[in-house]
Amino acid sequence: MSNNFFTRVAGTIPWTYIVRRTLYCIPVYLGILMLLMLILRVRDPVPAFMGKNASPEEIELKRQEVGLDRPFLIQYASFVGKLSIFNFGEESWQQKGRSVGEIVGGGIGPTLALTVPALTLTTLISVSISLIAAWFRGRMVDRSLVFLAVLGMSISFLVYIIVGQYWLGFAIRSGDFAPFAISGYETIQQAGLWPYLTSKWPYYCLLPVMISVIVSMGYDTRFYRAVMVEESQRDYITTARAKGADERRIMFVHLLKNAMIPVITRVSISIPFLITGSFLLEMYFRIPGVGRALITAVNQADFPVVQTIGAVFAAAYLVTNLLTDVLYAMVDPRVRLT
Amino acid sequence: MIAAFTTQHAQTRLILLASLLFAITGCWSATGEAPDPKDAAGNDGTAEEKVGRFPMRSEGPKTLDPVLGSTVYDNRCCSQIIDTLLQYKYLKRPYELEPQLLTELPVEIETPDDLRKTAFELAEAARANQLAEWEAAKKLAAENGDPPPPEPPEVPDPNPITWKFTLRDDIYFHDADCFPEGKGRKMVASDVFFSWRRMADSTIGSKCWWLMRDSIVGFDEYRDDQLKKIEGKPDAHFDYTADVAGFRIIDDQVFTVTLKKPAARFMWVLAMFQTGVIPHEALEAYGSRFGIRPVGSGPYTLSEGDWQFGLQMILRRNPNYREEYFPEEHMPEDEEVFDLEKAKGKRLPFLDTIYISFFEQDQPMWLHYRALDFDYAQVPDENMPQVFSKRFVDGKKSLVLKPNWRDQGVRYEPVPLLDFIFIGFNMDDKLLGGLGDKATKIRQAISSALDWDERNETFYYGLNVVYDGVIPPLLEGHPENGESDASFRGPNLERARKLLAEAGFPNGEGLPIIDYFVSQGRNNREQSEMLSRQLSAIGIRIRPNLVDFPTLMQTVDDRKAPFFSFAWGSDYPDGENNLALFYGPNESPGSNHFNYKRDEYDRLYEKIVGMPPSPERTEIYIRMQDMLLHDAPYAGSMARTRHYVIHDRMKYFKPVETFANWFKYVDVER
Repeated sequence: MSNNFFTRVAGTIPWTYIVRRTLYCIPVYLGILMLLMLILRVRDPVPAFMGKNASPEEIELKRQEVGLDRPFLIQYASFVGKLSIFNFGEESWQQKGRSVGEIVGGGIGPTLALTVPALTLTTLISVSISLIAAWFRGRMVDRSLVFLAVLGMSISFLVYIIVGQYWLGFAIRSGDFAPFAISGYETIQQAGLWPYLTSKWPYYCLLPVMISVIVSMGYDTRFYRAVMVEESQRDYITTARAKGADERRIMFVHLLKNAMIPVITRVSISIPFLITGSFLLEMYFRIPGVGRALITAVNQADFPVVQTIGAVFAAAYLVTNLLTDVLYAMVDPRVRLT
Repeated sequence: MIAAFTTQHAQTRLILLASLLFAITGCWSATGEAPDPKDAAGNDGTAEEKVGRFPMRSEGPKTLDPVLGSTVYDNRCCSQIIDTLLQYKYLKRPYELEPQLLTELPVEIETPDDLRKTAFELAEAARANQLAEWEAAKKLAAENGDPPPPEPPEVPDPNPITWKFTLRDDIYFHDADCFPEGKGRKMVASDVFFSWRRMADSTIGSKCWWLMRDSIVGFDEYRDDQLKKIEGKPDAHFDYTADVAGFRIIDDQVFTVTLKKPAARFMWVLAMFQTGVIPHEALEAYGSRFGIRPVGSGPYTLSEGDWQFGLQMILRRNPNYREEYFPEEHMPEDEEVFDLEKAKGKRLPFLDTIYISFFEQDQPMWLHYRALDFDYAQVPDENMPQVFSKRFVDGKKSLVLKPNWRDQGVRYEPVPLLDFIFIGFNMDDKLLGGLGDKATKIRQAISSALDWDERNETFYYGLNVVYDGVIPPLLEGHPENGESDASFRGPNLERARKLLAEAGFPNGEGLPIIDYFVSQGRNNREQSEMLSRQLSAIGIRIRPNLVDFPTLMQTVDDRKAPFFSFAWGSDYPDGENNLALFYGPNESPGSNHFNYKRDEYDRLYEKIVGMPPSPERTEIYIRMQDMLLHDAPYAGSMARTRHYVIHDRMKYFKPVETFANWFKYVDVER
């Protein structure tokens, strides 16, 4: 059965399209990289890094050391060359002894520990709520859900963080009862896989994930509800009803399947941000993720880290776009990729 | 709804969903099985182990390589691991130095004749070089039709002075795998010079050459030689064993350093973490990773993996730490706070392990402190009303802990910082600059119109120290009660209007809008609004330019900012450090951002740099400060205060921001 399943799935994958789009992506990516590198060089990053006591000679030496004295095209070629072989070994300017790969790579785990559960839960809950809202369209349940969604998204992310951290991280504590950490993080390597999953992750990450879900849910629910309502008014729904299909089947089979394209679009737009994380959550909860690394690098004028995270993010965005288009074709046979 | 999940696929999906939710939340117990919130590393000590848990309001240090570090956070972490030759007396105020790695304070000896000769030869060569460069620049300017560059100032003849240092013979580096059999070796004199030569090496990104520049005989020449040797050779490095005339090793424990001229600040520099002593083996073994895996001789060690960037650092007691005991010298008031009898004769350090947690945001740090996770904390601005009541004691506003905090056994310690917060004038500016009567009166008028107390009250709860002059509180030369008769500090609108009229701009009429530069961030926009309003009261209009800090620096360095806001934190507790900000040769892009030039002031400055602390020197400080108060190249001044709250379990903690190696003196009794 599983062989059949994989064969069927593989048969739906538009391989030619993927190859062609990948080839198209290369010049786009090269263009993005050039733009990124140009923007980061508009103002010389070296004096900002070297600080107030540096002499002009010291600034020039640093420029030579990091290769910023070379012609732009050479720098560009060198950076592209390194990226093409996944060489992220360039040393951070601020954290001497640590490579950019080490900084970014070290942050990906903690970031994904927050963003993947948050995105998964947000999507599941939002789609479910929007289905309920669409089911009860125009009635009190629908209006209440929309009201709560608007209310949820009207409150600043920071308020949720500050209030959540205070009440659930601090005020709820009593003796040994401390369900959520005020802040902090432990990696799987430090804790071990099972302790990490069963106690460390919930202790350190569940509260920020809950906050992230609550904040995102408002936006997602409103959007998905609109999609569901629109789909519920289509002809095929009327036809299904005319044929005597069960309302639940109409809702969860016919409607949900056809509403998947906007859902996929919205989810896939979020995927690149899974890597960059939420710097606000990471800063307040002291989770050493990529978002925090990026903000720290920007604040400290850590040029190689900023440049590399920018390049990685651009790549993630392009790949996600490609995957989204492929998924469209797979879930909706009406979509024909040319 | 369940009916919709009756197909086989739907059941599979349901199981998957349930598994996911179970994995995320199902196994987690919320009844105390969560790890000890006091230890994010899950690595708490045993019952016998003494553990300190300290917060740090920053994302943490950037590096622990002393010559690459520059921030207070680099200093605070580095100083626990790597020792300097001198240190501050922990409990003594005003600050005094004492030997740390030395048997005694450096002793002045007669400079050997050959070294004296070398000092003169090098000075002559440097002067000849300088003149040759000037001639070349003059020639180039003439060819381009530009005005000739000014002649370089006369350099006074060298007046060499030699200091003899004797290292303690019981100083060992930490055990580390860079040493044979992992056993730390004894520190010798050559380690000191090895470490200091790295300060000159700009190719590794040294940020502290300014501490040594133009002070030791032959050191500047060593740097120039090395730079020449490696020029155009990307793989070449500084030779840290090459000769420096002023460095002489007598034997493994004894060495001498010859300065070009007497410089009191040199002793302060020897207590700065950038001059910390490290072993060459560690550099050779770890390369640039030394910054995250440092080896020194300090009371604590840092192992690989014990520094989680942005999160925390775990310092562990150095088992080979030399015999050092709790200091007996103290201030009378310390007896009221500490049980010094109990600490007397105790060997340092007290604590076995120290967890330093880093916080970019104040809220989590403060909540952790309130949850007793930390032994002390600095009170964030927004939490001040929660902790303190304001009282007037002897006519001065001060803070008192609220009863509920006192009842919890919390102690409060205010720590004034060695700050000089000011608004500066560019003395090269056509309107505001120069020592002429008109410009001086405009600056004096501006100073008179500004109300620093209002600024302090509005933005700092009235808890900063507003003072006259440039020398912060607690240092020699700071005016009594912070007030000087020579000051033009306001608010005195009547005087301000009068001065402005005398300058030819009655009620500000005819005075162009003044560009004011300040960095973005915190409440600088609001502070600029207040400044604008205060000056508008006498008819002066300003145009605030809020820019990022590097742009502010660049604008000031380029002398394009006529009026700008800055702050200076003293590098060492000596007023000379602040008076240097107005020394002519330090003009932009040096630290004299005001481009203030007055011959008499410069001559006095050159005199004080070689003077040891004395009433005579303090008198000169006051004279110099009076010149500044009259000429008003700045308007000010203000110094911040940090507010520490300390749980009573933390013993012998006397908060200080001037030096950082105090971790070894504190104890925690849980």
